[in-house]
Amino acid sequence: MAETIFKPKRKSGPIKFATLGAWGISILFFLPVAWIISTAFKPKASIVVSPPVFIFKPTLNNITEALSFDNTLSYFTHSIIYSFGSVIIAILVAYLAAYSFSRYKPAGTDFLMFLLLSTRFVPAAAFVVPYFQLFNLLKLKDSYIGLIAFYAMFSIPFSVWILKGFLDGISQRFDETGLVYGASRWHIMFKVILPQVKPGLVASFVFNILFVWNEFLFNFQLGGAKTFGIPVGLFTGSTKGGAIDWAYVASIGTLYVLPLVVVIYAFQKYLLVGLTFGTVRGEV
Amino acid sequence: MAELALKVTGLSKSYGDKVVLDNLSFTASMNDFSVICGKPGNGKSVLVRTIMGLEPVDAGQIIVRGQDVAKASAGDRNIGYVPQSFALYPHYSVQENIEYPLVLSKASDATKKESVERVAELLRIKDLLGKKPEQLSGGQKQRVAIARGLAKATDVYVLDDPLVGLDFKLRERLIDDLRKTQEELKVSFVYMTSDPLEALSLAKTVMILAHGKVVQQDSLDVVYDSPSSIASMNSLGFPEANILPAELSGTTVKTILGSIKVNTDASSTRVVAGIRPEGFAVGKDANSFNCKVSLMENLGSEFAVYFTIGDTDLVTVVSRTDTQALSKLQAGSVDISVKPEAVVLFDANSGKRIGQGVSHV
Repeated sequence: MAETIFKPKRKSGPIKFATLGAWGISILFFLPVAWIISTAFKPKASIVVSPPVFIFKPTLNNITEALSFDNTLSYFTHSIIYSFGSVIIAILVAYLAAYSFSRYKPAGTDFLMFLLLSTRFVPAAAFVVPYFQLFNLLKLKDSYIGLIAFYAMFSIPFSVWILKGFLDGISQRFDETGLVYGASRWHIMFKVILPQVKPGLVASFVFNILFVWNEFLFNFQLGGAKTFGIPVGLFTGSTKGGAIDWAYVASIGTLYVLPLVVVIYAFQKYLLVGLTFGTVRGEV
Repeated sequence: MAELALKVTGLSKSYGDKVVLDNLSFTASMNDFSVICGKPGNGKSVLVRTIMGLEPVDAGQIIVRGQDVAKASAGDRNIGYVPQSFALYPHYSVQENIEYPLVLSKASDATKKESVERVAELLRIKDLLGKKPEQLSGGQKQRVAIARGLAKATDVYVLDDPLVGLDFKLRERLIDDLRKTQEELKVSFVYMTSDPLEALSLAKTVMILAHGKVVQQDSLDVVYDSPSSIASMNSLGFPEANILPAELSGTTVKTILGSIKVNTDASSTRVVAGIRPEGFAVGKDANSFNCKVSLMENLGSEFAVYFTIGDTDLVTVVSRTDTQALSKLQAGSVDISVKPEAVVLFDANSGKRIGQGVSHV
């Protein structure tokens, strides 16, 4: 008999079916987004029609019109300032906290970590009113300082959790080697250890920016004309003149998801590692 | 006497009730390769950490170049350091890793370049300088870590078991490299290990670490030939020495290997006898015992032969070229006698050496 080389039989049937299923489900989830984006480019007349129109001549009219409204651009500026501002501050503070927890292990670290996260257990609705009063009292209402502080406070606990996981996975021998060679603690924290937790920084950045970027309730209650972000703008702008302005909703919605898509796409490779919370790590 | 590079006196460190370093003292001379050898769990890592300043001491002095640095911060001690784990910074290239201690000490570019070239040459890693640590094999990483430890010119270097976990061949090569490096730099190397073979092949001076103390410090030959305690005998040498219960009456010691006249002025009757594996002779004579061979382990140039007398397990080594002895051993049952001068007598309570064998009785 001729020599036969063993070849594992490729089970093409089921695998193809699974791939197809995965694609199907993903597309299903993407449909609403696709619908919003396509609506943004539809001529006004074909937006709310039955049966729905799938083929049309794309136009930028909706978007330019939405952008021409007085407040639109300022909503974007506000959103960007308080979202990025608060998340960057939160990550910086969280990194310092996580480093301390990971390296100095204060007594009761586990309990402190639990306490930290417990602020997220209480439903947001429970402290809208107290915060409203507090912000009025401290004259922080409709100020960036107030909003950034609030969102940073909200973002810190989760970031500490993520970053501590990453830091625990990085051997203290790195710190010690640095100390012996004469490095300061700050140098070790920012030059030696920080670059090694990049995936953790990206993961906490993305998770928190998603939260703050989409947050509506507190921006609505604690903000004001000078600080309203896109979610509030979308909400107030969509019902202008009594009827729902679908062209406006779709245009702003499309522009609204763009920055997030860009951020997430750019950091995708870190994000995948970040989602494993630093558990996949090599030898030092 | 040679100039002292490092002098540790009365070093103590406890964690709660657990005493790890117990009034430990030793000295390391300039231009010497000192190996601190101790079994795992005897305080080796804590000793390194206290010398390097990564762990505060409870008491004692750590004198480097005449200055007590026990209270100084790690970075101010100016001791070269090769950590046990490589701890190479993954985001730096090999070159940047090696330069790192020099960057921290704000060395000039010329100094950096010159130092990197020097250590890269020494450890034969010139072709790796542009690579990232993740691209290196275990042995290469270790070389880079050693190079980084040596990059900053100083006169005392502490190497914390740097060859642990590497494969045999690599270890042989690096052992060679390390010895040559020390000879070339003419500085003081203080090398920690739990591997008696490493200690034997590297050390000029040996310190035996046991129960948180340095129990013996002397040249390699002295420590090997005249161990001052059971711990010394046990820590240095491979296969490990045989330790047998014994009875001393006057100057005659009795073990399962017969009676031997010893040179001792001790009056203690509770004694133990230590015999290194090479302290036996294979062949029938007036003092031999019939033994059962339980295992022969091929070590290359020699065999480790495990045998039993009664129900006591013993080990000896037989050269590969000694075909006569080997053929007898292969039979499974063989006559073996102990060389009297190989018997070292220790006090059973203190573990201290109290005498040495002279002749058969």
